[in-house]
Amino acid sequence: MAAPMVRHGFLQARRMAIPLHFSPAGKRFLLSAAYSDSHKWEAREKEHCHLADLASLMDKTYERKFPVSSLTISRFVDNISSREEIDHAEYYLYKFRHSPNCWYLKDWTVHTWIRQCLKYGAQDKALYTLVNKVQYGIFPDNFTFNLLIDSFIKKENYKDALSVVFEIMMQEAFEVPSTQLLSLYVLYHCLSKKTDFSWEEERNFGASLLLPGLKQENSVGLSSQLYGYALLGKVELQRGLRDVYHNMPLLWKPGYLDRALRVMEKVAASPEDLKLCGEALDVLERVLRTLTSTADQASETQSQEGEDNQGSVNLVEQLDLEEPEESKLPQYLERFKASRSQLQALGRIEAESLLTLTTQLVKAKLPACEVEDLATYEQKLQQWHLERVQLIQREQEQREKAKQKYQAWMAAKTAA
Amino acid sequence: MARKPRPRLIAELARRVRALREQRDRPRDSQRYALDYGSLTRPLSGRRLPARAGADVRRESRLLQLLARLPAFGLGRLVTRKSWLWQHDEPCYWRLTRVRPDPAAQNLDHGKAWGVLTFKGRTEGEAREIEQVMYHDWRLVPKHEEAAFTAPAPAPADAPPPVPYPPLLRAMILAERQKNGDPSVEEPLLSLARARAEPWDYPARLEPRAPRRAADG
Repeated sequence: MAAPMVRHGFLQARRMAIPLHFSPAGKRFLLSAAYSDSHKWEAREKEHCHLADLASLMDKTYERKFPVSSLTISRFVDNISSREEIDHAEYYLYKFRHSPNCWYLKDWTVHTWIRQCLKYGAQDKALYTLVNKVQYGIFPDNFTFNLLIDSFIKKENYKDALSVVFEIMMQEAFEVPSTQLLSLYVLYHCLSKKTDFSWEEERNFGASLLLPGLKQENSVGLSSQLYGYALLGKVELQRGLRDVYHNMPLLWKPGYLDRALRVMEKVAASPEDLKLCGEALDVLERVLRTLTSTADQASETQSQEGEDNQGSVNLVEQLDLEEPEESKLPQYLERFKASRSQLQALGRIEAESLLTLTTQLVKAKLPACEVEDLATYEQKLQQWHLERVQLIQREQEQREKAKQKYQAWMAAKTAA
Repeated sequence: MARKPRPRLIAELARRVRALREQRDRPRDSQRYALDYGSLTRPLSGRRLPARAGADVRRESRLLQLLARLPAFGLGRLVTRKSWLWQHDEPCYWRLTRVRPDPAAQNLDHGKAWGVLTFKGRTEGEAREIEQVMYHDWRLVPKHEEAAFTAPAPAPADAPPPVPYPPLLRAMILAERQKNGDPSVEEPLLSLARARAEPWDYPARLEPRAPRRAADG
């Protein structure tokens, strides 16, 4: 398949001839080439403007403290044609975000910005603006997120793909199944490589596993929920509940380990043949044992020293009626053992690792999701086109009115 | 009385220029509500926050701090306050309809927001400006928890049944009925339902209500 030269950004490995999901050197392609094909996007109608003119117009408008319209910034981003211009566009995006019109940044501008970054090889720039989304206002939609993750997977840059997944989690954008599948794949890949993380990484992993896991109705989804709840419960008991939910899309009610156990019990009690992965159960067991042993050590030292500063801060959050979570740990361990033996008796434990399960699921379901996504993307392109035409028309009408007013004023002035 | 004082045009002009400059250089939200977290003072006015606010100020966030991280500034999302979560069992939240961040803020974490209030399970009819946006008290409800959060709390027991009046009052009521020629024979009953007063932390209305009249044009 002769790939067009347009895709030189992320196809530097020269493996573009192969449409399959595996290439001879083992590079994995999850999304098909049709998905990341940018023909339709290139073929869209765009106004050709000179970037220097737009830049000077924007500078003048900012100096005079007038609002810059979203059309101007979208024209600027549309007409990027080199790597330096990407840096200029980043500066103007920052200025637009800090102007009174920041809410009006259009979806198509964000999509175009990410596409242009990928086209000119500026993936790190795209990632930087995405991570600092507060300062740049970059909130891509699902299709754009998928493209970005795919470009990082193709380059085997799982660290950056992981950052993108964490951003999707912060925006709670796990609506579309293709995004859920891709993110789960990236998460399990990273989890299988490295096991010890700082508490912030554990918390982010927990939330990013939980949110797509809630949407998927199969064993991968349930195991992800379990894994996510286990990690979050660990952070909750080690650092306190506030560190779990602060600046995260998570609820402030305590008892994440309790919810993990409820998932297990639900699977054991459900009549359908849902399975949980053994790996996730092992993780939960490890978490419970680590916490019990640290709790024992902590209670020994506390009875010696008798100072409880950290505990009082955490207790502020909990109501007086509920007991602190540490005291419930032995009960959790018992419940876990009981549920696990029940699941084993019912044969509901999968022996394969989560990564293999997710890869199988991705291969099975992704093509169907891609077709849907492409259809929605084409519709969106047309919608954006119509909106853009409307905005241009409105801008022209306003210019006409302003001109007429000015002419009337000049006529009145010369007459007077 | 002497003749009318001479019109002082330059003073009038100066007054208008001063008003214009005051309006142009007014302190923005980000300056007014900036806070020094070490000493809990506002740099602009030099005022100090109450001492008990320190714990909240360090733990929680302002509303726009939460919204700056969301696409479209979190339109249509639900936000609650920690003080409501601690005080009331029923769901109390604002559903956002309009957000105007302050562009002078570095992290876009000051501004105004409008929304529809649901307080203790009762939703208001229309959107209005959200009060106390700059308080460090706000929490965002995650999307997957919205359904569980807005589910109404179990309804309290119904008002106890009405009770007969004390004998003297009853006699007075019956005598009044007889005097007015009222032929009703039923027993006068006293209802025990409480007059529903708004709780002390019900958000006040910030903008005056728009006058209800058919505007032409």
